[in-house]
Amino acid sequence: MPPSDLRQMAVVTKYELLKYLRSRRLLIIVALLAIILILGLVLPPTIGSGYDPDPTTFTSTMLGEIGILIVLLATFFGADAIVSEFESKTGLVLFPNAVKRHVLVLGKFIASAMISVGAVALYYAVTVIAVVAIDGSIAPNTSLSFLYALAYAFGILAIAYLFSSIFRSSVYSIVLTFFTFFLILPIIDGLGASIAHFKPWFTLTFASGIVLDILQQPYPVDVVRTVERTFRNSTRTLTVAQYYPSVPQALVVIFVYFIVGLVLALYITKRREM
Amino acid sequence: MTDAIVTENLSKQFGQFEALKDLNLTIEPGVCVGYLGPNGAGKTTTIKILTSLIRPTGGKALLNGIDVVRNPKEALASVGAVVETPQLYSQLTPLEILSYLGQLRGLDRDVIRERSAAVLDEVKMSDLAHKRTGDFSTGMKQRVAIAAALLHDPSILIFDEPTIGLDPRGMIEVRELIMQLKERDFTIFMSSHLLYEVQEVCDKVAIVDKGTLLVYDTVANLSHAGEGGVSLTAVEPVTDEQCASVQALPNVRSVKRLATSELLITIEGGLREQSDLLDQVKGIGIRVAFYRPVRSAIEDVYLRLVPEEGS
Repeated sequence: MPPSDLRQMAVVTKYELLKYLRSRRLLIIVALLAIILILGLVLPPTIGSGYDPDPTTFTSTMLGEIGILIVLLATFFGADAIVSEFESKTGLVLFPNAVKRHVLVLGKFIASAMISVGAVALYYAVTVIAVVAIDGSIAPNTSLSFLYALAYAFGILAIAYLFSSIFRSSVYSIVLTFFTFFLILPIIDGLGASIAHFKPWFTLTFASGIVLDILQQPYPVDVVRTVERTFRNSTRTLTVAQYYPSVPQALVVIFVYFIVGLVLALYITKRREM
Repeated sequence: MTDAIVTENLSKQFGQFEALKDLNLTIEPGVCVGYLGPNGAGKTTTIKILTSLIRPTGGKALLNGIDVVRNPKEALASVGAVVETPQLYSQLTPLEILSYLGQLRGLDRDVIRERSAAVLDEVKMSDLAHKRTGDFSTGMKQRVAIAAALLHDPSILIFDEPTIGLDPRGMIEVRELIMQLKERDFTIFMSSHLLYEVQEVCDKVAIVDKGTLLVYDTVANLSHAGEGGVSLTAVEPVTDEQCASVQALPNVRSVKRLATSELLITIEGGLREQSDLLDQVKGIGIRVAFYRPVRSAIEDVYLRLVPEEGS
């Protein structure tokens, strides 16, 4: 008899990790991470500005690219995780085995999540070491920021899996994942704040603001100001808004994206025909 | 004893296209069945339903008595399958792929090691066991996929066009491998469009067209139902008397003179009847230089049952 679903899930995770460890994508992510960290550590003394003496500001600066890293992790390790089994026909070997589809999806997801955790943890570890070495102490709430970053990584990964379960081509899934979180949602966030003056609390990218905002002391609050501008003898009143996600609301939003994305990915993959 | 494979009114619709229409097929354990039909007849659709790759729109598919739609995990537990031309994970070696699938199937590490070596040897891939599969040819991938299907020593083997994509040597080797497996009491369900392959390898034949089962019978019975043909070239010209004598032989349907020393003989029956005819022709005094089949009885049955496309 085949082993339990849990045991099979662990087997899938193990071999997915092995595949990732041997892939060029992991090398690319490691190289990008190295570039981000080196730039963060080498650039300030090179341009003569030096390191920020405030651990909070220095930590925020160092972790400034965490959002990009998380989007790239979801794109590289989630966006084609399911679709590739159908597109490249490896599923013809995997699916006719005595294993449920949802076990395969969850096993793969855990592997993708583990790679994401590893990369994010490495980013934070190097940052913490650098900040402690240079400023003598770490920023308060760095550990909370790390946990929020992981939550964001899982949320975005679930949506990447959803895209991967829907599309017939890896290219569509990869492109949509990348542009949704790198371009489309950030545009909605930006337009919401600057033009429409609404708080885009419902987007995953806006909710991800808690990752860096939590480092600020005190936690920032929304600012809506009206500014009068005179241009060619006419005075116009402009409303300038700066919104920040509230931590509980952002965590709920991330959790909803995670659950909805993963459940739909499981359901669609189960129904999907090869 | 539970039947190995059963389909009950199995149907599958892709939009407006009816790929399978109420397919009823029962395959008893230990039998090797060839599943024949033209392109688009429903062969791969049947196999994909049996291997849980697609879902039927109606009817049931049972493997060892277990419904493959309701309980795919249990139903596929003792099934090995090679569907279409599968691809392999390019980052893994054949041994790692077999270890992956073996662990998914719950085999112990020692058993996996032992069985992997055995099945890779069986498909002649032992030399490449530690090489990543990224650069493997279609034939090599097909062999590894067959090894994966055999790994857990299943009771049912399902092959979808197992020799497609293989070079002539590979085709012969896979055919010989299936014949060896047949000796080991596997139930083998094998789709193919190569009639001679099925006739050579299988005990029974199911012919399907437009999603409907046309015939399901033993190769021996179908051989008697159809007409085979042989071409005979003699060393000397064949006389009219000899020609008439050949015509009078048992199982001979017709004799057509193609040249002074060449005859086309249509017979009832299969390989046994062809062999008997050769002996009888020699007995008449014709010195045979060449003797070869030009059409098998199965081919004849197939051509009669499956109309030409568009007709």
